[in-house]
Amino acid sequence: MLEHLELFFKSIFIDNMVFATFLGMCSYLAVSKKVSTAVGLGAAVIFVLAITVPLNWLLDQYILQPGALSWMGPEYADYDLSFLSFIMFIATIATMVQLVEIVVEKFSPSLYNSLGIFLPLIAVNCAILGGSLFMQSREIETLGLATTYGVGSGIGWFLAILAIAAIREKIRYSNVPPALRGLGITFIITGLMAIGFMSFGGMLTGGDEETKEDTTVEVQVTPTDDNTELANNTKIEE
Amino acid sequence: MEKRTDKNSYTIIFAIGMVIIVGVILSGLFGWTKPMITANEEIEKQQNILYAMGVNNNDDTSAEFVASDKAEALFTENVKEQMVLFSKDGKIEKQMTRQEYMDANNGQEPYLIDVKKQQSNAKKGEARKLPLFIGQNKEGKTVYVAPIYGKGLWDAIWGYVAIDKDMVVQGAYFDHKGETPGLGANIKQRYFMDDFYGEHLLTSNGAFKGITVAKGNADPKNEDKTDNEVDAIAGATITGDGVSAMIKSDLKLYKPYFDNLKKQAN
Amino acid sequence: MGLLSKKDAALIKDPLADNNPITIQVLGICSALAITAELEASIVMSISVLFVLGIGNVVISLMRNIIPSKIRIIVQLIVVATLVIIVDLVLKAFAYELSKTLSVFVGLIITNCIIMGRFEAFALGNGPWRSFLDGIGNALGYAVILIIVGFFRELLGSGTLLGIPVLGDPIEKTGLYALGYENNGFMLLSPMALIVVGIIIWVQRTRNKTLIED
Repeated sequence: MLEHLELFFKSIFIDNMVFATFLGMCSYLAVSKKVSTAVGLGAAVIFVLAITVPLNWLLDQYILQPGALSWMGPEYADYDLSFLSFIMFIATIATMVQLVEIVVEKFSPSLYNSLGIFLPLIAVNCAILGGSLFMQSREIETLGLATTYGVGSGIGWFLAILAIAAIREKIRYSNVPPALRGLGITFIITGLMAIGFMSFGGMLTGGDEETKEDTTVEVQVTPTDDNTELANNTKIEE
Repeated sequence: MEKRTDKNSYTIIFAIGMVIIVGVILSGLFGWTKPMITANEEIEKQQNILYAMGVNNNDDTSAEFVASDKAEALFTENVKEQMVLFSKDGKIEKQMTRQEYMDANNGQEPYLIDVKKQQSNAKKGEARKLPLFIGQNKEGKTVYVAPIYGKGLWDAIWGYVAIDKDMVVQGAYFDHKGETPGLGANIKQRYFMDDFYGEHLLTSNGAFKGITVAKGNADPKNEDKTDNEVDAIAGATITGDGVSAMIKSDLKLYKPYFDNLKKQAN
Repeated sequence: MGLLSKKDAALIKDPLADNNPITIQVLGICSALAITAELEASIVMSISVLFVLGIGNVVISLMRNIIPSKIRIIVQLIVVATLVIIVDLVLKAFAYELSKTLSVFVGLIITNCIIMGRFEAFALGNGPWRSFLDGIGNALGYAVILIIVGFFRELLGSGTLLGIPVLGDPIEKTGLYALGYENNGFMLLSPMALIVVGIIIWVQRTRNKTLIED
């Protein structure tokens, strides 16, 4: 349970998709003019991440990893399909996004209209593919943790777009230089927010300096006759 | 009016056709290029190991491998011995020479051992196979090259570290799969790798400490070789931490071997 | 450009400034932030995108009449991913050194929304030749911004350009450093890329008032 909680908060704050890894920026910048649309897109991202990360985890574990096919029989154990992971992950994501698009169009045409070109672009929202690829490269161990990671990253992204949308609504009443209005000031504010979010990294590394001395690892060596004999063999002919 | 391409049946047929075409193209291409890619990867591993040993075509600032067509010959020439240690619970259970290992594993060379796989096997409680390559560097000193593997910011990072019998670094090569260009990717730059030269893995009282990639500019010219620290790359904290972590966790396992070596010498 | 009609020439020229993919269309931001700490990486990425976007646009444009609209996103993604994987595999087999330099960019290209954005917005509705020009134009517009950002971040952050020290040696205190100048390590951090792009937008819109929003 504790590891779930840790991963959850870590993926929201420390590894925030937008502010720490700068993924999903395009839709983040383009759809953050109004809080209401931002909430819609944010929710869609949480939903898609929460589904695709565990799905791709299953794909990775049982099809793509080297040796993952061994459940089909020992003769398949040597197959390595990891070169397909990009395309498989993308196919899963694109299918899910298309599904979301169809559902949103059916139940909320107004949201569908306001999201416009950006709903299809969720598919290439790098945050989504990034989520799956991080899941793969960080070797998340269980399906449960993968789900937690997906939801956590989604919430992190949601939080980011919500925050910038709220700021953008307020900033309209401020006296921003004309040329910076809109996109320009959004870029700069995001940069400042990202600098702020970097301090969350301290949650992970804070106090590291003090404990460093303790991490010295004592390796226990029990010299036995056996070992000495082994060392004998290691001499090189010089 | 419905367009022909909007029909469900057309969509399904199109999708199936697309999957088959792409599948055939990709698997065909993969099958065709696989032997060449494998050969390239093997040569690269040899080049990496040779690089760590100090056999490379470096000029002043560049990190240059030996030419790929000469790698194989140089590898046989310079790597005097390859061996595999079987490590479990911090102890070395047994060890095999290259010939013994190849006889037991269908002729697989020890340098092709997949470190990542060994790490996950070790987690399952199996003994971990630790390859070790022994040869001499340019000064005629015997060096031991060990592979390491870990995680950076985005994806895998790995490397080969050459150490002498006192576990002092004699050369290092790092590489990565997808670290940020200009930041984390600089772990494979000369200035970073060269910093490790001469660094001690042990503390002064002989305990294993590893080498920490440390922030803060206490020693920018890297003159203090016994501080177990090298200077970090600005803006690449997580990649640097990954390097520290893999050095610590993987090279630690070799310590019993060197302890025995020392006992042997006395 | 005698070869191109006025309309075609606009396809190349517009994205360079007034319809720039990064500063106006807001496409391809992630990569612009991630890889611009060094000028060289910016240039490599620009060339890769030029290649993929040019060819991808033509392929999608040729397929535009047979792609079912319901699954067009999947089809587009698969086309890009397949293209990139093919190039990656071929390079790995025949030009291993080059492929090592480029492998980092593979993931960034597949997920680069500039590619999908142009497929969706242009190639699906236009012929192959015009799509090709559109691809080249947008990739060049993208390259301009990447190179500007990369230039400033590398110069101010590490005092080098393309890896060559141009401001003197920071440790030996020569050149500009002798006067007490210090590299601004902050420039190497990704948030600064956002701020540099923000400043580019500011300059661009000050020069061309028609682009100002609201």
